Amino acid sequence: MTAPFLQIRNIRKQYGDVVAVRDVELDIAKGEFMTFLGPSGSGKSTTLYILAGLQEPTSGDILLEGRTLLDTPSHKRNIGMVFQRYTLFPHLSVGENVAFPLRVRRKPKAEIDATVSRALKLVRLEGFADRMPAKMSGGQQQRVALARALAYDPPVLLMDEPLSALDKKLREEIQFEIKRIHQETGVTILYVTHDQEEALRLSDRIAVFSQGEIDQVGTGTELYAEPRTRFVAEFIGDSDFLKGRVERAGDGRADIRLGNGFMVSAVPTHGDAGPGRDVALMLRPERISLFRAEKPRSLAATVRDVTFLGNNTHVQAETETREQVAIRLPFGHESAAGLQSGNAVWLGFDPSSARAFC
Amino acid sequence: MLLDFDRLGWWKWMLVSITALVTLFLLLPIIFIAALSFGSSQWLIFPPPGWTLRWYEDLFADPRWLQSAWVSAKVAGAVTILSVVLGLLASLSLTRGRFRGREALRALFITPMILPVVVLAVALYAFFLRIGLSGTFVGFVLAHLVLALPFSIISISNALEGFDKSIEDAAILCGASPWEARLRVTLPAISHGLFAAAVFSFLVSWDEVVVAIFMASPTLQTLPVKIWTTLRQDLTPVIAAASTLLVLLTVGLMLLSLLVRKALKR
Ligand SMILES: Nc1ncnc2c1ncn2[C@@H]1O[C@H](COP(=O)(O)OP(=O)(O)O)[C@@H](O)[C@H]1O
Ligand SMILES: [Mg+2]
Repeated sequence: MTAPFLQIRNIRKQYGDVVAVRDVELDIAKGEFMTFLGPSGSGKSTTLYILAGLQEPTSGDILLEGRTLLDTPSHKRNIGMVFQRYTLFPHLSVGENVAFPLRVRRKPKAEIDATVSRALKLVRLEGFADRMPAKMSGGQQQRVALARALAYDPPVLLMDEPLSALDKKLREEIQFEIKRIHQETGVTILYVTHDQEEALRLSDRIAVFSQGEIDQVGTGTELYAEPRTRFVAEFIGDSDFLKGRVERAGDGRADIRLGNGFMVSAVPTHGDAGPGRDVALMLRPERISLFRAEKPRSLAATVRDVTFLGNNTHVQAETETREQVAIRLPFGHESAAGLQSGNAVWLGFDPSSARAFC
Repeated sequence: MLLDFDRLGWWKWMLVSITALVTLFLLLPIIFIAALSFGSSQWLIFPPPGWTLRWYEDLFADPRWLQSAWVSAKVAGAVTILSVVLGLLASLSLTRGRFRGREALRALFITPMILPVVVLAVALYAFFLRIGLSGTFVGFVLAHLVLALPFSIISISNALEGFDKSIEDAAILCGASPWEARLRVTLPAISHGLFAAAVFSFLVSWDEVVVAIFMASPTLQTLPVKIWTTLRQDLTPVIAAASTLLVLLTVGLMLLSLLVRKALKR
């Protein structure tokens, strides 16, 4: 087996006592679309800036095709980057902006012209070459920045929340463009976002950042289906949490007693699940069934809120132990008819669809 | 708005007259001087009994006046170049650097603006005398540089603070070395600040008289010093002519800078 294309080896970044990035370890394959997903302040940008060479790690190494990048200064790494803020050179036209990296590399004029028009075509901005950046919308500016970053065929393209300043509709439009460009060029992309939907829509794999560490790496489906920490479960998709205590444990599963004595058996667990330990039982809102009449092996609750949202109805219910549970019923579900606040309901779920975090 | 100008009624005219009076008060000496420079009396009588260009002829005929104007221009030119270059370097470290005592350093750079000029002049004179720079062109330039730098640093720092460092980072990622990025991207983006720094620096030196009197020697005089010394010897309307030209050049430069800055900022 050949070495991974890009390796992040034990990267750590400290500012005095603050650890911004804590021993991050990650392999990225050639042509992969990898997203760093996490809340603000979790160390995503810092990791990206270290890859770009705009910051130096406290310790650790970055390898591209087996060779370290750290002894190459930023401007010689040949890496492309699109920033969170608008970074077009204000005194240069769109075409000159895209030409800039090629001029710096002293390419012949004919080649520059051809590359610029190819790059602008890639981001669907043909005919804008003579515009000044100040005359472009935010979305257009970021597309030009993308064209500029791709103009010199970088092996790796870094993107630090490039769409965070745009409104939702425009964001989705450009996400689609980015995905198309990734497919057309085959460039390896490292993309930073705090928006899970964006991450799920774009990525081959997602690395979930929390407090400077990567909690879990996987495809969107893997992260949703098998979150390894409570943080990942909360961050990807919606989730309900109920307090419980381990009664019996073994083989990665546990029997858990909830607050009012209700027993859930053989729940897959993460973390150190010894008997007697407090755990958080995670349920996905769309995997919970809701009954209007009492059922065996189901949890009694009272409806607090019903919101009709077209294809889904969101139900907010409160258990006897005053814990909040969100349930999602598809349109036309029999239990949804006439459901309103104050109704008594019973909640059922398959223990194998639940997860326990210690 | 509470103090809507159009609804002030009677007060409105009051305000207009006060403003007019203040403006007149500020402009009157200049208008006076300009009028006297064209007056035919050699005793600076106002209103002039007649009109003449004689004093301007005298002025341009006297090589000492021309020479002092030339010295002024050379000193101001050198001060401008040094002030912009040093101001840029200082501003880069003051806005970008992360080091202890940065704020103290910034304050230190600004002090010549606050210090009484006479104190500065005496101090520089004493110091330059000791190191053999008094009465030299280099001494002149260095002394005015001290006065001009604060203006330059303030203008350039302001422009740099309004410039997003990420843009420079983007240029570096594009393959430009850090200095290439600063030259090709940062400098053009802050050109309005550099230009303001240049104009301020030039003007500070061009019409400065206090420090200049201390720095001057009989053979090295700037225009304001020449005006001052001539004034003490005899009261001739040639002084009025020289002053008028000085004012004219200053006003012209400020108008030009207004236009250029507008163009640079787009
Ligand atoms: N120059 C700095 N000095 C001190 N702390 C910093 C600096 N830059 C970033 N940090 C800290 O490092 C952590 C990670 O920041 P960052 O990588 O920007 O997070 P993210 O991009 O995920 O929002 C934050 O807690 C931030 O406060
Ligand atoms: Mg960030």
